Amino acid sequence: MRLFGIETEYGITRDDVPEMDPVVESMELVRAHLVASFERRWDYAGEDPHEDARGFRVSGLQQDREEDEFAQRDAHRPFSFHDMKSDLVLPNGARFYNDHTHPEYSTPECRTLRDLVAQDRAGERIVHRAALRRNKALGGAHVRLYKNNTDFHGHSYGCHDNYLVPRAVPFAALVTGMVPFLVSRQVVAGAGKVGTEAQESQYVPGGYQISQRADFMEAELGVDTMHNRPILNTRDEPHADRQKYRRLHLIIGDANMCEYATALKVGTTQLVLDLIAREAVPDLELEQPVAAVKQFSRDPNLKAVVKRKNGRTIAAVDIQTQYYESARRTLSGLDEESDWVLKEWSETLQLLMEDRQQLVGKLDWITKQWLLETFMREERIDWGDPWLASLDLEYHNVDPETGLYMGLEGERKVWRLTSDEVIEEAIRNGPADTRGGLRGLCIQRFPDQIQSIQWEQVQFACGLRSHTLDMRDFFDPQEVVRCVGIFKVAQSPADALAVWTHRKDGSV
Amino acid sequence: MNYSLMPERREGPGDPMPKSPSPLEEGGGPRRPDTGSPDKDSLLKRMRKVDPKQAERYRQRTGE
Repeated sequence: MRLFGIETEYGITRDDVPEMDPVVESMELVRAHLVASFERRWDYAGEDPHEDARGFRVSGLQQDREEDEFAQRDAHRPFSFHDMKSDLVLPNGARFYNDHTHPEYSTPECRTLRDLVAQDRAGERIVHRAALRRNKALGGAHVRLYKNNTDFHGHSYGCHDNYLVPRAVPFAALVTGMVPFLVSRQVVAGAGKVGTEAQESQYVPGGYQISQRADFMEAELGVDTMHNRPILNTRDEPHADRQKYRRLHLIIGDANMCEYATALKVGTTQLVLDLIAREAVPDLELEQPVAAVKQFSRDPNLKAVVKRKNGRTIAAVDIQTQYYESARRTLSGLDEESDWVLKEWSETLQLLMEDRQQLVGKLDWITKQWLLETFMREERIDWGDPWLASLDLEYHNVDPETGLYMGLEGERKVWRLTSDEVIEEAIRNGPADTRGGLRGLCIQRFPDQIQSIQWEQVQFACGLRSHTLDMRDFFDPQEVVRCVGIFKVAQSPADALAVWTHRKDGSV
Repeated sequence: MNYSLMPERREGPGDPMPKSPSPLEEGGGPRRPDTGSPDKDSLLKRMRKVDPKQAERYRQRTGE
């Protein structure tokens, strides 16, 4: 069983005020999506980021000194926490809200890469359209949104990929099997960055590296996400039946503009999870994984090698190749999508070493490098020129009129897995075979009867009684499709739940 | 769903600002562009419009 999703925090700017308040602007951006006033429906009872998969609970999450100061000021704002968050659930089952100080779009849960890429792209359009409405209210194109991960001043924000994993897979096996893969995954999924930086540290211009997030990785394992960021996040918040499932919550990834990179990032990670479940991962434990993330990122020539625990050295592409070989041996023929990932993974690794020009329009770090180097030749500037960091930023602008990636896409120079029609459909509806699509359908059909909603359940107010659609263990696609069919035609949520319960219990 | 068509490449990368239209085409999956050649100057214009100091001014608060 496969289920995955992507959360993306967007960078936000407003250029008509001397100093933008990111909390207020992110709130206003999210609320610009609404045609009516905001009503709190999101149920935060299902959220608890303090449980650690290593078997303990932390009393609080850490943040850096600067954020501590901001938090003190935030506590005195004239609106509540819930107003600040402005949580929305969209008709496609996605969550759109202000995560701290960034508009965040979390895709609905998806079973296929094609659905996931479409939903991720739908998010870009949803946030962009919210910005257009916000700008209309402001009287000019003042608000801009960036699907990236750095402000080039030591502040990073995330793009997290999430996977449903059976609880039966030991967490220790996830760590051992996943860390070398994640350290090297950037050669496929990196978004590219001009210069180097570190958390709350000065930006150093010059040079080009593979990943936006590598500079901000500071630990191998950890429950924190805003400070001391780990390669493998240990947050144990399954958003599902805790007895049966984990949610692997990865914070190391860059936000991708290229559809192909998004598909390969998630597709290869899912294959590695399948390998771990079959105890078929290669033994590639690294001596210093955190240092290796940075070494690999800062070597776009892909020559860097890092030390393994067995004393040998290995390069990033070789790590990926060994994972690929294990996956090919173990998972070939599993299903059509796995075979597609295997084929593209293999070809990509080969092209990285032999002819990376062919990866332009497929992988972000190579596409961005190609754009910047062409511009450097045209303008006769070098990597130290501050213009390049601005162009890097603009690569991620989601506005089709100004964004550089969007310009490439407009000229049909990037590989597409979706079409405009598919993306528009993903804005309207979530996948019909996951609880994400069902959640969205509830929003479409019974918005006024929803009392509260979150990843695992929807609670409806039906007269004096409340009814709950429990989705903690609702992952069988055929069952979901049947349930969706019932909710599509029912006169009320109470009717739908009654019919569904009746059928589920085998009475019909 | 047909994964043999996934992804659909409509045009090779070539030069982002080509001096003359030169769409690349590979055998197999890639397909010739279904519209005319790209405007050779539009990306360059778009890049030149970017304020060189934009990144210097860009500030965000730490996220997750």
